[in-house]
Parts: sequence; structure tokens; C-alpha cells
Amino acid sequence: MGKKRSVALIVLITIVLAGVLFMSITPTFYVSEVKKFNSLLSIVDLGRDLGDGYYTVYYPEGVISDDEYEDLKAEYEYGQEEGTSDLSDPAGDYTAYRGIYISNDLMEDGKPGEAFRNNFAEAYKAVKARYEGMGFSDYTVRLQDDYTIRAEIPALDNDEYDAEAIAQNIFTLFSYSGELLFTDASDASSAGTAEMEGSADNIRSATTENAGEQGYAVAINFTSAGQEAFRELTSSLTSSGSSTTLNIFLGENVLLSASVSGTMDQSSVYITGGYTAESAKAVATLINSVIDGEGAFELSFAAPEYFAMEPSMGVHTALIAAVCIGVLALASLVYFLVRFKGMGLAHLYGFLTYALAVILCISLIPAVQLTIGGLCAIVLASAFMCYCNYYAFNNIKKEFSTGKTLTASVKSGYKNSLAFTIDAHAILLIAGLALYLIATGGVKFMALIFTLAVAASAVCTLLLTRFYLYMFMAQPKNERGRIAFVGFKREETEDD
Amino acid sequence: MTKFSAKKCLLLCLIVSLVLIVAGAFVFGFAGMNLDSTMKDYTSVEVTDNGYMANDANYRTALEDFCLEEIEKEYAVEKVLYSGFQLDTHLEFILSDIASDAELAALADKLEEALAGEAFGEGLTLGTAGDVSVGWHVAVYAPHYEYVWRTAIGFAAVLVLLFAYVAIRFKVGMGVTALVAALHDTLLTFALLCLVRIPMGASFICILAFAMLLSVFFSLKLFGKMRKDFRMEERKELASEESVLLSASEGRKGIFFTAIALAAVSVVLAVVGLIAGFDLFAFMAGALVAVIVCTYSALLLSPSLYALIKKKSDEDRAKKAKYNYASEKANKKNAKEEGTRAEEPAGNA
Repeated sequence: MGKKRSVALIVLITIVLAGVLFMSITPTFYVSEVKKFNSLLSIVDLGRDLGDGYYTVYYPEGVISDDEYEDLKAEYEYGQEEGTSDLSDPAGDYTAYRGIYISNDLMEDGKPGEAFRNNFAEAYKAVKARYEGMGFSDYTVRLQDDYTIRAEIPALDNDEYDAEAIAQNIFTLFSYSGELLFTDASDASSAGTAEMEGSADNIRSATTENAGEQGYAVAINFTSAGQEAFRELTSSLTSSGSSTTLNIFLGENVLLSASVSGTMDQSSVYITGGYTAESAKAVATLINSVIDGEGAFELSFAAPEYFAMEPSMGVHTALIAAVCIGVLALASLVYFLVRFKGMGLAHLYGFLTYALAVILCISLIPAVQLTIGGLCAIVLASAFMCYCNYYAFNNIKKEFSTGKTLTASVKSGYKNSLAFTIDAHAILLIAGLALYLIATGGVKFMALIFTLAVAASAVCTLLLTRFYLYMFMAQPKNERGRIAFVGFKREETEDD
Repeated sequence: MTKFSAKKCLLLCLIVSLVLIVAGAFVFGFAGMNLDSTMKDYTSVEVTDNGYMANDANYRTALEDFCLEEIEKEYAVEKVLYSGFQLDTHLEFILSDIASDAELAALADKLEEALAGEAFGEGLTLGTAGDVSVGWHVAVYAPHYEYVWRTAIGFAAVLVLLFAYVAIRFKVGMGVTALVAALHDTLLTFALLCLVRIPMGASFICILAFAMLLSVFFSLKLFGKMRKDFRMEERKELASEESVLLSASEGRKGIFFTAIALAAVSVVLAVVGLIAGFDLFAFMAGALVAVIVCTYSALLLSPSLYALIKKKSDEDRAKKAKYNYASEKANKKNAKEEGTRAEEPAGNA
């Protein structure tokens, strides 16, 4: 590489790296009164341990909270004082049970009746399975006070309002139950002109698909009997020639609505409606939980309220951890600069490229959610990337000591470390990918981040650091008997 | 390391590991993991107000401190959770131990009474300022079975892939050693996490995944060095055990480099965790345990195990390669027998 070309490349790459670094780590600031600059790090989706979360408590009909009971009591007492109320005394309607109050209609001999207990147990099992089916990075479902269900999930969007809307949607959807019914009726209680049961006989599964500009779609996959039934349904709905709305009910609630304009004879239908990835997945999970009949329950829940929660590991843990990791990375770069001089400079550029690639991946890929496990995966992949460069530089040093020129030493140093670097990256990539594809929950998200970080490390170690090294090597090499760039010193031999 | 010490070292490593793993399994079987509040049953006292906490940080701090002080007169508090939405904010005090319903009800009543008597601002009390009510809950954790079994299958798949890759790219013996090391490191990390009783949530499985991936890297590092060294002419002259142990000792630097870097991050974040939040400390202490286990295994267990495997395989190969004159002996014997048979009729005659 020529000297001028090298200078131009150094300047260009430095500007690009500095620009991306600025975009990545600069704290959020207001550009104008209404617009603000958000750094890439600030838009990373965080798991419930490092970021905010939401929770709800599902109260079955006839079960109320302590606060609600106190409100009813206050209303009753006020009505009695004023003499205007016909409200009944909540003390006569409800029985205190642990931290909640249960309607006397559900009680038998001073304890919850058997029918209620069985229905609740069925509902609890189904709700648990629905949350498990969502594959959150971290979530908790608890039985609270024996007859309410508490569910905690991570915030699924950076934007507070969107995250709230998604959480509310999931909490509400997962409280639905009943049978799945495809009909043109506008409410579940009235009969439609044509209907189709959403049972396992007709529906194989529900999945989510990316529908491009329309967001995400819920795909309903039919069995062959289901395909025929759906063809007949759509055929009779559109027999008049005009388009009509097909509603999919789950019990009393409309789950999906779609406009049908002609007979549809296909094994899958895609229903769009401004779904986000999470809301489409929630609908698909709900459908999957009820088609075999196991996830359906008879109990109905009161409309769930939701509450925002602080990160379980502490409010500023993510920021503090990021700062600590940044400082330690800086310390490692200084070590490389001191130990390997110019090669350390190439490592600095290589590591910076790697770090920025990882930040871009975790902030821009929607499927990524950063948890403490993910942070650990980044640290591991970073140490691994640093070691690969350390190994290559040591090999270069060894080759140089055998009397080769700097260029030849770099070439054979990299050649000597190539087999290990490729093998290590390959097996770690395979391991990360296997864990991502098979595992679920926190490990799945950790494996995804690890796979991305190892891929970035492979590119940076095998290609970019070497390229940067050649780029810097085009600068002045010899100075007073030393190879100035890498600080190597050749033993001078006296000529006879 | 001599021939004797390689065997001894492996034996010692296996005994130490086995004792720790069995002890860990015993503790896990009888007492389980020391789970934090995110993964266990708990009892809590919940203080709810009309959203005043969300608007006035001083009020929230005063309320939290006062409640904490009152509750801790009788029960230890493990964690305080703040949550809310619009006109409904909560402070949930999770108790370290499970209290009975009667005790919780009495505690809630006592706290509500105390809040009504604690002044806050002019003419207000902590109870009246935010229209506070106090409730209590008993929560039972639902285990994440799917998470556990699918992750276990994922780990098994990684072990199989690791063995296959190392066996193909390196040697079958190295594949076996890498497989044993990865399994050993994961199990030993799990056992130590059970033994040291650091409270942890679901993320402890991430620590096991971290241990497994680090073990894979260290194995690759070790066998990469050996593969390179075994091709050198001067190493070919060495005995198999000596050659393995020499490569391992020369490769220590790289393992230390990675281990020290990871340990440094774990220690710094653990120390920071002591200030920022105990959960971070617990996770990073667990990660440090994983780093120590993997380093110990890569420095002692893997080289001595592979030294013995290589010695055995080299001996078998030498045995096969050695010419044992069996065919010549058989031919000679046959010829002798034929000669004897030919002489016999002549003698009889």
C-alpha cells in the first residue's frame, strides 16, 4: 500500500469510526425543543433485570383486592351516612382470604368452593403456558394469595408508550378464554351466517410472519379438513358478491378481524392489522394454547390493570455496567499499545470496529434483548477477540526474531495463527447458534448476542485488524536501527 | 510434570471435582439453589398510595425509609420493589423469610397505624399525604420448566457438536478431552454455585452457559497449541505424555491472558454491584467462579487427561505397527508339521 493511500485510508476510517462512536455512546440530548438525539446504546432493548418491566395481577370474577374492598366499604359507609345508597355491605358479600377478598358466592363452608378451585387451577395452568410460549428473555408467573395470578414481563420496546401498549395488550389477551370461533357475527352471542370451529381438527398452528410495511401478520395454518372448512366458510360469506368481515372470537372476545372478498382455498391465511412482532406473537401463542382444548378454561378474569416496574437489578445497573466495561476495554487497549506499539494501534482500530459492530447489532436488530447474560456474552467474545489478536501479534514477533522482514513476519505470523483463529471462531459460532436455536429464555438471548459478537470478532480478527496493520505499516518503517512502527529492534551485525 | 505426576494430577483433579460435584448435588437435592426473590416463594407487605410517590421523590424516600425501618423491627427485608401506573403506585417490601398469614396481617395493620401517626409536611402524615393503604401477599413461584429442559438439550447439543468438531479437526482423543472438560466445567460451576449459596435468579443458567463456552475456547486454545507443536520435528522425539504436558505448559500464557481479562471484568462489576445492586454482585461472583473453574480445568485436568489418552493411543498404534513375525512362525510351524507327517509313513514301513 502506498504512503498517500494509507494516509487517506487512515483519515477516512478514523472519521467513520469517530462518527459511529459518537452515534453509539453520546448521552441523549435535545437537538431542538421537540427533537432529541438518542444514542445507539440508549435504544438497546433491555431485559427485565437491566431494564424496566411491567406486571399485572389477574383477579378472577368474584375476587377483589384489599384496596378494592376498602373502596367498596367506603362507598357503602358514605351511602349509609347520606341515606341515598342501595349498595350492599361488602362485609356481607365478601370473605377475607389471605391478602384478597373472595365473593361469598364462590365460598363453601368458609373456604373457596371446589368448582371455583378446579376452574382456577385450570386457568392458572393455561395462563402459565401462554407466558412460557412467548419466550421472553425473563418473565415470572406467580400464584398470589392462592387465587390470583401475578405475571411480570420485560418492557418490549424502548419507547415508554409503545412498551406500555404492548404490555397491556399481552396482559389483556392472556386473560381471554373460551372456544375459538370463525364467524361473520359481530358478537359472540349472536349466530353468524357461516361459522367454523377453531379446534385442532381444523387448525394446525398459528405463527407470526413479517408482513413488510404492514408490520407483522398472524399466520393461521390449517389442516386439510380446516382448509376445506375455511374454503366453504369464505365461499358462503362472499356468495352475495360483496366483501364481508370475518371475526375470530375467543370466547366472548374478538381476537382478530379480517375482510374477506372472495373464496379462499389455501393452507395458511395471514391476518395483518398493525401488529408489532410481540402483539402478533401474543395472538399466535394464545391461538396455539386453545386449539387443542387444553389451554381453554371456564373462569373469567376481570380486565387486568398493569403497573410499570423498575429493573430487578437496580435502576442504573445497565449504565454502570456499560461504563465499567468501557473503562476496562480502554485499559486493555492501552496494554496492547504499550506492549505491541503499532500493532496495538491496529488492534485499537480493530477492537473499536468490533465494539461498534456489536453495538449496532444489539441496538438495531429487533430480536435482540440485552440481559446480564448477554452482557457476559459480550465480555466473553471481547476477551476472545483480544486474545486472537494477542496470539497473532506474538507470532509476528516470533517470526521477526527469526530474521524475516516486517512484511514477511506479518504474513507468516498471521499464517501461523490462522488455523487456531478459524477453528476457535467456527466452534464458538456453532455452539452459540445451537444454543440460540434450541434454548429459550435468557440463554436464548445470551446465545444470540454471543453469536453476533463472535461473528463480528471473526470479521475483525481475520480481516480488518490485518488490513489496519498493513494500512499503518505503509507509514515510515525504519528509524535509527529500529522498526519504528512496531518497536521491533534488529540486532546489528558488524560487516567484516 | 513427570509420567507419574500426570496420572497423579488427573486422579487428584478428578477426586477434587467429584467431591465438589457430589457435595453440590447433595446440597442442591436437599436445600436447592439459594434463589433470590425473583425465583422463589415469598411473603410481602405492599404499601399503595394514590400516585403521590410518583410525583414527589422526597415523599417516596421518606415513605420507603419509614416503612423499611418499621418492618425491619420484626422481619428482615430482602428487596423493595417500586411499581406504579398513574394514580396507583406501590412499594412492595419482600420479606427474607416466609411469615404466616396472621403475622402478615398484624404487621400490615401495625404499619398502617404507624404511617397514620408519622408527620410529613404541615398538617399531614405519611399515611394521609398519599392516602396510603397497606396490604400483604403470599406469592408462590411457578418454575420455568420449559426454560430448564430446553436449555439442557441445548447444552447437550453443544457438547455433541464440540466433540464432533474437535474429533474431526483435531483428534478423537482431543474431542473426548474437550467433551469431558466442558461437561466437568459446567457441572463443577453448578455445584460450586450451590455450595457457596450466593442468591441467584433465573440468570444462573446463563452463568453455566458462560462456563461451557469458556471451556470450549480454552480446549480449542490448548489443542490448537498441541496440534501445532506435534508437527515440530523436535517434539516428535519426545514421549507422548511429555510432549502433551510441554505444549500445555507453554500454552498457559494464553489461558492466563483470557482468564485474567475475564476475571478482571467480573471482579470490577462485582465490586460495583455491591454499591449498585446486590443482584449484579451475585451474578458476577458466579461468573468469577466459572472463570476459576474453567482455568483450573484447562491448566490441570485437560492436559493430564489428554496425556494419558495420547499415551494409550500411541501405545496401541505402536503395538499395531510392530512386526511380530507371526506369519513366519506359522509358516515354519506348518512346514515342520508337514515334514513330520511325511517322515511318519516311512518310519512305519
